[in-house]
Amino acid sequence: MIGRRKRGAAARSVSYSSSPLLASKTPPWRSKFLVALVGLGSCVLLGRAVHIQIVGNQFYLDQGEKRYAHELELPALRGRITDRHGALLATSVSVPSIWAIPKDVQASKEQRRQLARLLVVAPAELEKKLADPNARFAWLKRQVDETVWQQVQALGIKGIYETREYRRKYPEGESAAHLVGFTDVEDHGQEGIELAFQTELQGRDGSRTVVKDRLGRVVEAIGEQVDASNGQDIGLAIDAKVQFFAYQRVRDAVAEHRAKAGSVVVLDVQTGEVLALANYPSFNPADRRNLTGKQLRNRALTDTFEPGSTIKPFIAAWAMETGRVTPTTLIQTAPGSVTIGSSTIHDAHPHGTLTVAEVIQKSSNVGAVKMAMQMQPREMWELFTQVGFGQKPQLQFPGAVTGRLRPYKSWRPIEQATMSYGYGMSTSLFQLAHAYTVFARDGEVMPVSMLGQAAPQAGIHVLSPATARAVREMLRLAAGPGGTAPKAQTIGYSVGGKTGTARKQEGKAYTSDQYRAWFVGMAPIDRPRIVVAVMIDEPGNGMYFGGDVAAPVFSQVVQQTLRTLGVPPDLDVKPQIVATAVQESF
Amino acid sequence: MTRVNFLLALALLLSSLFLVRTAYDARRLFAELDKAKDDGARLDAEGKRLEAEREGQATSLRVERSAREKLAMRTATPAVTVYVHDGAAAGVGK
Repeated sequence: MIGRRKRGAAARSVSYSSSPLLASKTPPWRSKFLVALVGLGSCVLLGRAVHIQIVGNQFYLDQGEKRYAHELELPALRGRITDRHGALLATSVSVPSIWAIPKDVQASKEQRRQLARLLVVAPAELEKKLADPNARFAWLKRQVDETVWQQVQALGIKGIYETREYRRKYPEGESAAHLVGFTDVEDHGQEGIELAFQTELQGRDGSRTVVKDRLGRVVEAIGEQVDASNGQDIGLAIDAKVQFFAYQRVRDAVAEHRAKAGSVVVLDVQTGEVLALANYPSFNPADRRNLTGKQLRNRALTDTFEPGSTIKPFIAAWAMETGRVTPTTLIQTAPGSVTIGSSTIHDAHPHGTLTVAEVIQKSSNVGAVKMAMQMQPREMWELFTQVGFGQKPQLQFPGAVTGRLRPYKSWRPIEQATMSYGYGMSTSLFQLAHAYTVFARDGEVMPVSMLGQAAPQAGIHVLSPATARAVREMLRLAAGPGGTAPKAQTIGYSVGGKTGTARKQEGKAYTSDQYRAWFVGMAPIDRPRIVVAVMIDEPGNGMYFGGDVAAPVFSQVVQQTLRTLGVPPDLDVKPQIVATAVQESF
Repeated sequence: MTRVNFLLALALLLSSLFLVRTAYDARRLFAELDKAKDDGARLDAEGKRLEAEREGQATSLRVERSAREKLAMRTATPAVTVYVHDGAAAGVGK
């Protein structure tokens, strides 16, 4: 039985020793083909190795690095904005911004309600942000206070994180808001100095590449670190104290006269620096919700109006400069009107015969027209242009307007006449203040600057010093008893200036009950240090003359500014010191 | 020969373990350094924030209000100011 099975198995298997296949001779090409195949395979492998290690090495290195390297941004700090004494007007502080990975957020209904309350967002809005289960990132609220983040942390919700961002702080708040401006949430300047000096302020972000471990800790740095270069600090010429005081005074005046708005400009005559530029209504740069255009407008630079009587000193100055008149030349202004072509120009009160000085002091339209009509239109146009009317102020600040001064070739005689008392042209309050530096600087118009000036600038020569001094004397009379603005007087400092009052224009006509009142002047009048211009828009409680509404603001601002600048009084003051200290002996 | 091989294998093993240990230490120290730098930056930012806060507390508005209301001060006018000449000041030292 066993022997039969063995035999059967042997019959089914192949007898290798006698396989006819082995007996046949292998053709030689077969082994060669195999060797060639193996050789080719080796070549392919070698080629690939060369490609990876040598030719495309960088690509693979980069690809590899991408799998484990993280690039971290090193944010640059935005530059600070300071006043002339280094007081901060704007600075960046690091604050938390809260974000979430929506699919990881696990919070109860109560927790979500509390989170919405802490972040001051509507619960529905928060739900919407967290609703997408596939989203990997969602801002919950950017730039919140430190305490808010601490409270959010205390809720203990999973999937909510913070990242650090810079937020702008404006310590001086609304008093300097128009001047300093503000930035958006991305730290880009939107208004004011923040916009004007965006490039200088912003700086450049740096970066570093690192390897992170499982816990997200940085364990190794790769390559070179590019340091962040912080933005430059901008030092303004503004004096925060003067700015604040000017803002406060104009705000009080607007409230007192139930006016719509007001502006103040203070210029340093010696250097051309802008010491203050305040507008009311203003806004709080830290809370810009519900802002209106009225609040945002930098009226001193963007609102133009017909400068009215404040132009008359320029006409008188040019008439004196060209030898047509002297301060004592008599001009007949009776009967209080003058006819040019078919139009008649009136004085508010008839004055009779006036000297040139009195024309300015009493603000006679007829007197100004009679002086102007002796001039060529070109002369007047050149004078106006040289002092900056119809020219955009050379100021590194956005939004300054040019005002309107038509080319002299198109002036009709009546237009030349009305322009001599400031109608038919327009200017901003800033331009007006700037133009008055010509009297304050003995005939030179100063270039103005928002930034601190190391050395006094050279001005453009327009009038002779003698003419400028003569006009200053007239301005002193105009702001004195018998002039139009005795309320401009201060204690201790001599002042001079000119008022302006005008009905506001609406379309092509003048309104009957809306006025604008302003005052431009300088102090101390013999050696002026500052030019101050004040404008009150639509005073609403009966008083609307520049001398009643704007001059008191001028007086207070001048007094405070000169004291802050340490200018000694030039007028004798009756001392009110009740007790005199006994000098100590050593 | 076997003994040499064995010693070499042991040395290799020890060296590898040491390498692992060193790499671990390096990473740990680097992480600490990085954390310290972060803390430094955070404190710096905190300093800036406090500086801004201090400025915020010392604004003209607040100073003026405190001076008027708490300290009952008044604005100085030339009428209540004695101006001292520099010459007199120089004489004091003598």
